[in-house]
Amino acid sequence: MVKAGIITFLGTNCEYDTKRALEFLGWEAEFIWQNDKITKNYDVIFLPGGFSYGDYISSGRLAKLTPAVKSLPVGKSLIVGICNGFQILCEAGLLSGALTHNENLRFISKVCELEFFNERLNIPIAHHQGNYTGLGSEEVILKYTHNENGSDDNIAGIYDRKNRIIGMMPHPERAVFDELGLTDGRKIFEFIKNEI
Amino acid sequence: METFKAKVTVKLKPEIKDVKGETLASQFKGLKCRTGNVYWFEFEAKSKTDAEKFIKKLSDEILSNSVIEEYEIKW
Repeated sequence: MVKAGIITFLGTNCEYDTKRALEFLGWEAEFIWQNDKITKNYDVIFLPGGFSYGDYISSGRLAKLTPAVKSLPVGKSLIVGICNGFQILCEAGLLSGALTHNENLRFISKVCELEFFNERLNIPIAHHQGNYTGLGSEEVILKYTHNENGSDDNIAGIYDRKNRIIGMMPHPERAVFDELGLTDGRKIFEFIKNEI
Repeated sequence: METFKAKVTVKLKPEIKDVKGETLASQFKGLKCRTGNVYWFEFEAKSKTDAEKFIKKLSDEILSNSVIEEYEIKW
């Protein structure tokens, strides 16, 4: 069974969505509090979506200073940042580039179409700072089919295979349950599972 | 201990698109605009060297992200 840790920060609001989605998929998941050092072994550690530290100064800026982020077992566990988690990973320098304000200066909350290898997925996005710029050596794994926020090259998600870190703006945990009408998020979790 | 005052101006690097600035500028003919944040600090430190070290660390780690932003400190 896949063992996942989900870091919760002050202001995180997608931790339960993520936990329920993972448990539905048969994974074992538990929360890790931001002020605790990560000492247990996890197959995968999620940094979920939300508004850590109220997005003060800039999204993800302050969460990078927490003991949990500072003790991330880079290279050992697979690390996955979703939305605010992606912003935190970029701010912490664990993924290259940065996420700036959306080109239209609005908070965008919608279901959008994404290119994921040879597939087209429909997964929700919900962010104000998702305009990605400054790609390094990471592989682009997710692209918007229509550039939603001004990101360089339509980038929605990247993967650093060497250090095993994934960052993405879309919320796959919101596209898992049949009741919600969207299930393409399962394909993202399947990919993550195969990368463990 | 001495009291120090510092002003830190953080703005996007020239090569980074400033969508807020562009939106504002688009409302006036011929206007160019770049936006940023300004922080005013007042604090105590043992020496000017210590004060400078403190403000630099604060600017590097918290006030700016070197990937997209640059800052200027004025005393």
